[in-house]
Amino acid sequence: MFGCNEFQVMATFELYRRSSIGMCLTETLDEMVSNGTLSPELAIQVLVQFDKSMTEALETQVKSKVSIKGHLHTYRFCDNVWTFILQRATFKNDECPEQVGRVKIVACDSKLLTQ
Amino acid sequence: MARNVSSVYIHVVDDVISKVRDEFINFGVGENVLTELQTLWEMKMMQCGAISGAIERPPPAQKPSGPITPVHDLNVPYEGPAEEYETPTAEMLFPPTPLQTPIQTPLPGTDQSMYNIPTGPSDYAPSPITDIRNGVDLKAGRPSPYMQPPSPWTSQRPLGVDVNVAYEEGRDEVDRGASDQPMTQDFFTISSGKRKRDDYASQLTSGGYMPQQDGSGDVMIEFLLPEYQPKEVQKSMTGRDRETAVKILSKKETEAAPVLPQQDGVNDEYDDLFHFQGNEDYNTPAEHVELRAATPAVGTPKPAKNEAAEDDEPPLNEDDDDDEDLDDLENGEEELNTQHLVLAQFDKVTRTKSRWKCILKDGIMHLNGRDILFNKATGEFEF
Repeated sequence: MFGCNEFQVMATFELYRRSSIGMCLTETLDEMVSNGTLSPELAIQVLVQFDKSMTEALETQVKSKVSIKGHLHTYRFCDNVWTFILQRATFKNDECPEQVGRVKIVACDSKLLTQ
Repeated sequence: MARNVSSVYIHVVDDVISKVRDEFINFGVGENVLTELQTLWEMKMMQCGAISGAIERPPPAQKPSGPITPVHDLNVPYEGPAEEYETPTAEMLFPPTPLQTPIQTPLPGTDQSMYNIPTGPSDYAPSPITDIRNGVDLKAGRPSPYMQPPSPWTSQRPLGVDVNVAYEEGRDEVDRGASDQPMTQDFFTISSGKRKRDDYASQLTSGGYMPQQDGSGDVMIEFLLPEYQPKEVQKSMTGRDRETAVKILSKKETEAAPVLPQQDGVNDEYDDLFHFQGNEDYNTPAEHVELRAATPAVGTPKPAKNEAAEDDEPPLNEDDDDDEDLDDLENGEEELNTQHLVLAQFDKVTRTKSRWKCILKDGIMHLNGRDILFNKATGEFEF
């Protein structure tokens, strides 16, 4: 088994688990583990695969560009993760701009994935 | 190759499911569990609005890899129909739009042994899409009711687990209820010897009374315990009537409490009993919202001003900014996804004086209740 592709250890960004799709998956897996349908190990495997699939999908299937402007209320850089809290932010893409009073931006270092 | 958010999500779901299939097999977990996972996942996504009601599978023409849907690994020939088969379950729970999904090309080399999914009419909801998919599925060689009005579905259980119907009925609840029943019953028939861990219970013979040791009644019970013969408690019925038991006991003791006093929460005696010194006051009602709303960067639980903690150190002034953040909080709901959130990777973050610039990539944004994806983002913030 060792040496097969499946067992390559690769870092994944877990941050996408906090998105809607990620939370739905996490909740689903939690329920299935709670009622014994799924083992925790397998659930973790699913989440890791989600990390990879989601990252890849964002790279390959999304082509839009967005510009963000706003007042920076808080910034933090810890463990290679930037966290910004913006206020009165505007997000512009090809469609209509979105405005929010407060938004949190969490960003991991893209260089950590590329090897 | 721009795709809308829903289709990207569907692609991710498909990709994940197909790639974990091997793991599931290695673990000896059945295909029905995988199906259930996918169904539940898609259903939750529809509920939270992450994907639209009609699940659109991408037409094969757009994809480069092979005759089968590109998301599926070619070395597992069964994936296409398996997933087509599954998604209708999720769709069924929401009014399906009369969307005619392009038909997947039939799979070559159907391997019956791998999947125990009987083909043909299933118990899945009537939807044109279901019909199409079932029609396309050549495994059982059934005639294809292309875009016909749905045939009457019976509640069959093709997967061994009726994910569909069961889920509507709250399968989880059913299962849990089923599994809980024997446990509760066991308790009632267990002799007192088995309840050694339960001091209170050990004093009782098993008269069917299962005192609750936690929750709102615990303080009361502990109070009364030394003063009462077990017999008296035993007289009071079953575990369900714990409150009644407490009432009876309290009546006898105080002879004055017509109302069952609340023992927990804001008005409990916890502090009085134990003379708390610390900042335990996190859970006063006024602060619940704050705790949920605050982000780690700026929010800290607000200890009550009269707590002793600040006497030992110079005031930390933690509260200075809290209100400011709360005022700006949109919506104010406690829901997980309501907070506007951007999850991305950064390529570069720079600052000149108070002007910050950043370049982000591959992000998921949740703004104003909807998801937006981006491949690249530039940010300019004024600090």
